Amino acid sequence: MSKLLWEAIQRSTTGQLMAEEKFETELFPTVLADLQAKHKIEWDGESPIMADPDLADAIFQAGKELLLEVGLYCKNTRRIVKFTAEEIEEAIRTARTEITLGKDRQAITISPRAPGDPQHPYTFFPAGTLTTDIELYKTHAKVVMQEPTCDGVIPIPLYGVGDVKNIADSPAQTLVCLTEAQIMNEAAMWAGKPGLFLGIPMSATTPLTLMSAFGSGLYNKHNCTLPVQIIQDMRIDYDRLNLAFFAEQHGIEPWMSSSPALYAYLTGPEQAAMEIIAHTLGMLAYSGGSLTQAMSISVHGTYIGSDISWCNSAAALAAERNLKLPWVTFGSMGNPAGPLSDEAWFQVAIACISACISGMEGLWLAGGSTGVEARWAGEMARAAATLKPKEGVEMIKKALAAERAPDPAPVSLRALYDMKTLRPCDELVGQYRKFTRIFTELGLSYPSWPH
Amino acid sequence: MATIADLRQLVSETHTEPAEAMTRELLAEGLDPFAILEQGVMTGLNDVGNRFAAKKAIVLDLVRAGVTAKACIPLIEAVLPRGESKKTEKKIVLGTMLSQHNIGKNLVGTLLSIGGFEVVDVGEKNSPWDFYETAESSGADMIAVSVVFAPAMEKFTELVDLLKEMKVREKYRIIVGGAVTSEKWAASEEADGWGSQAKDAVDLARDLLRVE
Repeated sequence: MSKLLWEAIQRSTTGQLMAEEKFETELFPTVLADLQAKHKIEWDGESPIMADPDLADAIFQAGKELLLEVGLYCKNTRRIVKFTAEEIEEAIRTARTEITLGKDRQAITISPRAPGDPQHPYTFFPAGTLTTDIELYKTHAKVVMQEPTCDGVIPIPLYGVGDVKNIADSPAQTLVCLTEAQIMNEAAMWAGKPGLFLGIPMSATTPLTLMSAFGSGLYNKHNCTLPVQIIQDMRIDYDRLNLAFFAEQHGIEPWMSSSPALYAYLTGPEQAAMEIIAHTLGMLAYSGGSLTQAMSISVHGTYIGSDISWCNSAAALAAERNLKLPWVTFGSMGNPAGPLSDEAWFQVAIACISACISGMEGLWLAGGSTGVEARWAGEMARAAATLKPKEGVEMIKKALAAERAPDPAPVSLRALYDMKTLRPCDELVGQYRKFTRIFTELGLSYPSWPH
Repeated sequence: MATIADLRQLVSETHTEPAEAMTRELLAEGLDPFAILEQGVMTGLNDVGNRFAAKKAIVLDLVRAGVTAKACIPLIEAVLPRGESKKTEKKIVLGTMLSQHNIGKNLVGTLLSIGGFEVVDVGEKNSPWDFYETAESSGADMIAVSVVFAPAMEKFTELVDLLKEMKVREKYRIIVGGAVTSEKWAASEEADGWGSQAKDAVDLARDLLRVE
């Protein structure tokens, strides 16, 4: 067992005792507010992107101090696990900055990239759909994986398999999760991409199912990662530490994930960006991971907005300058009106440009589920990779201000694809062509786009 | 001289001790306790809710406002003429299904308590059986369930089925809310009510439990 994981376990039995309510309503918000003021971290209330290197460094320093001063609250023992500055420095110094996901010809090696770096961020599109119909689920996965710019996928959780419901803590959930894994592997084989990176076991909500998924071999250390994500607002429990130990034992890449909620205990995106850094350093200590997925959400129920995108880009830039970890951010939740709406395409484009100019290494595009959108995301990430931050910010502003056609009625995959050949319909291809033209006119280029 | 408007502002700004002191002062001056409660405490609480809706306040402010209101309300209740208390005598079992998330659930609990309901908070990571068992043992009138991720939706269905199987479905009104839920889904699962925001729980409880 790694030294800092062991220390985390030990300190969960010896650290300061505190009621959780006192931790989350007094200690945590007070220290957070003090550090925000000390480091003068402010959002102007409008900018959708944070591209200031000095502010990024301030956010990083504030996040590090937040972890050192507050520590991680262990829900099992009601004690605070603290790390020393030396331990955190060691965790940063020894962190792996380059990782390989996937296997054989589908392997992708993610190396640190700075804003404007020609190496594009990798795009991970959702595979599957919210259903209990496994054939439909598989078809959704296939149409995404067949695209040449599909770098990897992240499954959509399965509600169930036919009559078998996804029941947490029961073998049924394990069965559903194994079905997810099997379908992902079959779809990748069908697409000619065995060994494709398949993200994380999304139908699993408990450590037992997660471990069983890896025990089956369908998900393994080559094609999948194991979530060890921290609980919002600097909290951990033994589930996280057990999963971290399991990942360590089996050589599985931990999926470090931080998802602070704006307007819960955080006053805005500045505090959320600080918390993402503190979370990341905490996970780095207890899991020894590298791959980091960071995003903010809002208690008002949205995954999009200037506040959220500012936070995500700020945390990414702070990490790029100070950690160099493979950094993946959640971008674009799509549009309820579906892939024939302009908004869905603009959202994907904006998320990709933001990733490029924030120095991100990857992007989890949770919205949408058609292959043509996945292709668009991969092409946008490649086309926008070399944008300078100022150029990217200007392009995002133009995209946000651009006129949108009225939303059409949502349509199913069956109406968008020929279900036998899995070729997209003319209307969907037309939408793709329309947006390649729009972004060509805005100054981007990709070999298959119009010149 | 203190006014009810001053108390409203103190509650709105979540200054617990000053609000408590001012409540005592207003009561000592002989002002109508119902006016102090409604126009001072509850309106101040609504102000925070409105600021929250406009992203000018955070959940922690709502929690703190709840703490402030809870400090003032017993002082007012103590001087209300017997029989005119705002307590509803209705009991609600509240908890989160499966998940460890508790922000929304805690907020609902605070607002229901302030609304005069007795809240039996069963906490987080509950199973359908936890809700059923607590409702039976506490003599509850209603069950309020927070559902914040997809697997918990299935568990909510199980809860409704469990209550039917135990032949107690008609004893309890069931309300549900949370990030992944919708009014349509709640209706399809035979919930008696659904809310998109924490404050909706109070209106639902008053309506379904026929509280004036």
